[in-house]
Amino acid sequence: MISDIFLTIITMVFALMVVFSKKTVVSAFALLMTMLSIAMIYFQLGTVFLAAIQVLINAGAIAVLFIFVMMLINLEQFQNNREKGKVKLVISAITILIILGVFALIINNNIEVLAVNNIADNSMLLMFDKLFHVYYLPFEMATVLLLAALVACVVITGHEKNAKVELEGDKHE
Amino acid sequence: MEFLSFIIFLTIATVLGLVLMFISNILGQKVKIVRKNDVYESGVNPVGSATRQYDIKFYVTAIMFLLFDVEIVFLLPWALAYNNAIDKGFLIAGFAFFITVLLVGYIFVINSKALQWEE
Amino acid sequence: MLEGILEILIKIVVVLGIPLGALPIIIHVERRGAGFIQRRLGPNRVGPFGLLQPLADVAKFMFKEEVHPTHVRPFFYTAAPLIALVVALLPLACIPLFGTFEFDGRTIYPEVFRSDMGIFYAFAVSALGSYGILLAGWASNNKYTMLGALRACAQMVSYELSLSTAIVAMIFVFGTNDIHGIVGAQTGYWFGFLPKWGIFVQPVAGMLFLVGIFAESNRLPFDLAEGESEIVAGYHLEYSSMKFAIFFMAEYIHMLALSALFIIFFFGGYSLLPGLDLIPTDNAFILPLLQAVSFITKIAIMVWVFVWVRWTLPRFRYDQLMDLGWKRLLPLGLVNLIVTVLFVYFRNQ
Repeated sequence: MISDIFLTIITMVFALMVVFSKKTVVSAFALLMTMLSIAMIYFQLGTVFLAAIQVLINAGAIAVLFIFVMMLINLEQFQNNREKGKVKLVISAITILIILGVFALIINNNIEVLAVNNIADNSMLLMFDKLFHVYYLPFEMATVLLLAALVACVVITGHEKNAKVELEGDKHE
Repeated sequence: MEFLSFIIFLTIATVLGLVLMFISNILGQKVKIVRKNDVYESGVNPVGSATRQYDIKFYVTAIMFLLFDVEIVFLLPWALAYNNAIDKGFLIAGFAFFITVLLVGYIFVINSKALQWEE
Repeated sequence: MLEGILEILIKIVVVLGIPLGALPIIIHVERRGAGFIQRRLGPNRVGPFGLLQPLADVAKFMFKEEVHPTHVRPFFYTAAPLIALVVALLPLACIPLFGTFEFDGRTIYPEVFRSDMGIFYAFAVSALGSYGILLAGWASNNKYTMLGALRACAQMVSYELSLSTAIVAMIFVFGTNDIHGIVGAQTGYWFGFLPKWGIFVQPVAGMLFLVGIFAESNRLPFDLAEGESEIVAGYHLEYSSMKFAIFFMAEYIHMLALSALFIIFFFGGYSLLPGLDLIPTDNAFILPLLQAVSFITKIAIMVWVFVWVRWTLPRFRYDQLMDLGWKRLLPLGLVNLIVTVLFVYFRNQ
């Protein structure tokens, strides 16, 4: 019970740091910590598999990508372009309202929510069974979605023949 | 109980790291020389700052890793589900489609020379 | 409750104590091995056969001055070695040194925490190893460290893909994800003499995994992150005294954890070495002891392989390294997976 509250607070604090931190890299690391605390919540609920996947994908790949991007582009020149505090507050408020609305919808319509206490590692196999039978089509479509993302990434990063790419260590002022 | 063990393990590991880190902070000698704290660039005066633009290929590598990692991680529960499934043919058909799309994406990436490091 | 916590603490002391205690020995073996391979002596002055050299090194690290450069980002600079060490230690929590056994009417598990998804936990946590390096390189605010960190990170993520395909293939073949189940499936012999190790079932996956752990732990021939002739020392250039030693320790512990995973998948984990199973196990403690001896022997052989490769092969060029990861090993892993799946499916038809 205590660990429930503690983990929730940690996750919330890091999530708020993502939004309100002045420095971009600090935001990125706060995002990483948020992902890891969510993985801890999964772990605490007894689903080690979901925690591992969360660490592997969200913390291991997505956060690394964000941090990479921030390190690769010279951030000082974009520092002034970040939204001012007021805009951020309004956006945060709207987002919170939307999330509350979704919760209200779920509660009002009695949408079936997984009973948290019943999740255990052996019921993970039941979940896989459902994933690979009832939801097999969406699962397959996910790869098509990933293929689209792949193509988009290659096109956006651009591989024109004559593009001038500044290589590491090329420039010696 | 598992979570408790994990938390105790994490705490002990962190404390161990902290103790190791501050041991030389306390025991080590301290000599103040101004130039000693400069950037280490093999004895040459540093030129420019370290935050600069690096090759975009590092970024492309990271995003390719993300996409392929998601696809391969999808296969982990599939491999577990296959051994408990009754209709194995159905799962194999899905796997065939999945891996075909994966291979198409892979061939596209290699052909686009997005991961070509040397001309 | 109190008894349970005591049990956890004992396990943690064992799990942390064995790798940390073995570390000086490994470093000594590495140096003497280097001397042996390069036909020179290696450290042989301090104590008999130079055996006390690692202790002298530790003492030296402790009493060295901690240089704290002025241009670094202080918080992340201090946090990076800590993160590297903790992340390297975490996978050890799920690696069993011996099998479960009955004691005092209770079943004793060797892992710090028991989960049948433990193998995924260990794999996922060891994938976080790139953060310590990335953070160190960025926080040091130096071109060399930055390049070292970027290289290390891109290399680690590239080789993680082929490592993952090997793991999927192995889990598919064994049909279980429980570490004890995987080890159990590898106990016994084919034709009475060939151990049922995973390497004989999936040699290609074994090769991919082996190359993967070399690349993940940044060891030669994959130590582009610290190629001293190009980028001085890579990501830990600005670190001194114990902070530098911590990076060193983290690298070795990461190597040990990944070797343990490799042995669990491909060399039968704690299953008894051929010959040891002839010893009668009438006492309840003899079997776990023999299993621990087998596991540690296998890891020691792996450590020797690491040393041997390190002082035999030259370093790759960076484009060769990335080409090997993306254009050779990843397609090989995918093809291996497809062949395995089809073979298992049609054999059971």
